[in-house]
Formats: sequence, structure tokens, C-alpha cells
Amino acid sequence: MEEEKYIEELVGKRNPFVVPEGYFEQLTDQVMQSLPERRPRAKTVWMRPVFYYAAASVCALFVCAAVWLSWPSSSQQEQKTVAEAVQAVQQQQPDDTFFDEAADYMMLDNQAIYACLSDY
Amino acid sequence: MEKYDDQLILQMLMNPETQRRAFEACVRQYGEQLYWQVRKIVLTHDDANDVLQNSFLKAWNGLGSFQGESKVFTWLSRIAINESLDFLRRNKQRLAASEVLSTPTGDGSKSGERIVDRLVADPYFDGSETEALLQEAIASLPDVQRTVFQLRYFDEMKYNDISHLLGTSEGALKASYHIAVKKITEFFKARD
Repeated sequence: MEEEKYIEELVGKRNPFVVPEGYFEQLTDQVMQSLPERRPRAKTVWMRPVFYYAAASVCALFVCAAVWLSWPSSSQQEQKTVAEAVQAVQQQQPDDTFFDEAADYMMLDNQAIYACLSDY
Repeated sequence: MEKYDDQLILQMLMNPETQRRAFEACVRQYGEQLYWQVRKIVLTHDDANDVLQNSFLKAWNGLGSFQGESKVFTWLSRIAINESLDFLRRNKQRLAASEVLSTPTGDGSKSGERIVDRLVADPYFDGSETEALLQEAIASLPDVQRTVFQLRYFDEMKYNDISHLLGTSEGALKASYHIAVKKITEFFKARD
């Protein structure tokens, strides 16, 4: 590079800086004296993050299991509903209540029913 | 420790029992080299000494985060260069100097001359006025250009090594160096 040569010819590459006598001989001691001592760390048992996730998953599993066991299951509820329905049907008396209700709903009286039956 | 072995030092640095002894070996091995890197950025001996001490202190305190992913010298050098640039930012010396290059033929030279005067009066500066002017021109460059120029021009460091040191691509570093050289050349030509 031409410009680099220009600087080199004009100024050179010499290091123009100097240090006090014996500076580098004392540098290491000077630096080491300024460093704090390491405090022994309190021993803490650290686990890898994957173990924390595993522990959390197991806890969550236990909570879910506890909730599931204490909750009445859906099959139990269904069985209960069916049993109640059967019981209700059984409790009904075998009379014409439903027949009369159906006839009223269809606005049929006895005569109409007989007329209808006589056609067959 | 008779012979410095980077791999062995790295293992010793990881061990709390031996890390202080290993760190001392690092200071002994790289202290001078790091000093010159810092000195070329901050210019005066007292500032360079302060920055270097802080850099080693920072490295010592941050030893736990150093996992040996780079060479020990690269790690220390990175800390030292960052500390040097932080120091400059704090002192705003660079802002005063940058006025010179932004207006090379204007009045901005006044603030730049202070660096030259300071260097010439410094008992630990053994250079000519032209060498002091070069330092002034370098000091006025932006951080990356300034660091690349120092490492490449004076230390003749390879772009690949500078790239590891600064975490910048080789292409970007070459461009920065080229711009830095151009600006410094213009700086001198404007004074002729």
C-alpha cells in the first residue's frame, strides 16, 4: 500500500515510548499484590438444569395423580346417572298417563282415535 | 515455573488450588506485551499502568467465566484493549483529538496539538515531534481503526489474530486499516 509506505518513510515504526527503569521487573509483584484473595466458596450442590426439569416434571405428575384420584371419575358419574334413570322408570306406575299426554299434545280425542282405528 | 506452557497454565487456572500461581505466570509471561498494547492506546505511562492493573484485576475476577475457549493471551489482550478504550472514553481525550482529523486544515488542530505537547513534555516519551504527531493522528481515529492500526502497523500482527482478538471479520479489519492509513496520510499531508 502506497500510503502505508508514505507513513513508514516519514515516521518509521519505532516504538517511541519508554518506561521507568525496572518497571517490568516489578510489574508481576505489583499486579499480584493488588489482586484480592479468593474466598473459599460455601459448598453448594448444583445440578445440571436437566435434573431440575426432571424433578419439576415428577412433582407435576404427583399433583396430577392426586387431583385425578380425589376427583369422581366420569365413568362413575355415568353409572350413577343411568342408575337414577332406571330407578325413575321403575318408579313410574304402568298407567295411561303418558298415553293421555300424547293424545292431548296431538289434539286427538277418543272419537277421533276410534275413527282412525276403524279405517284399518 | 521454568517454562510457560499455555495448556498447562489453562488447566491450572481452572483449579482453585493452583489458579493464583498460574495467574502469576500469565502476568509474568504477558505483562510486558500487554503493557505496550495498552500504552499505545492511552499514551502515557501512568495511565497505561493504571489500565493494565485494572485489566489484570478484571481478568482475575472474571476467571470463572473464562472457559479456555480462546488462548490465554487473546483473552487477556481483549480485556486490556477494552479497558484502554473505556479509559479513553471516560477521559474524553479521543473526542478532543478527533476534531483534528475531521477538520484537518481548520482550527481543530489546536486541540490536537495538546496531545503532541503532552507527549513531547512526557519524560517517558522518547520520540520526535513527527512520532508524536503520528500518535496524535492515531488517537483521533475511531476505536476499531485505531486499534487495528496499532496492532497491524507497529506490532505487525496478522489480520487473523486481530480478528480473534476483536471479534471482527478479517475483511472488515482490512477495510478499517486501509481507512486508518488513508486518514493518517491525509493528516500529515494537510500539515505540509
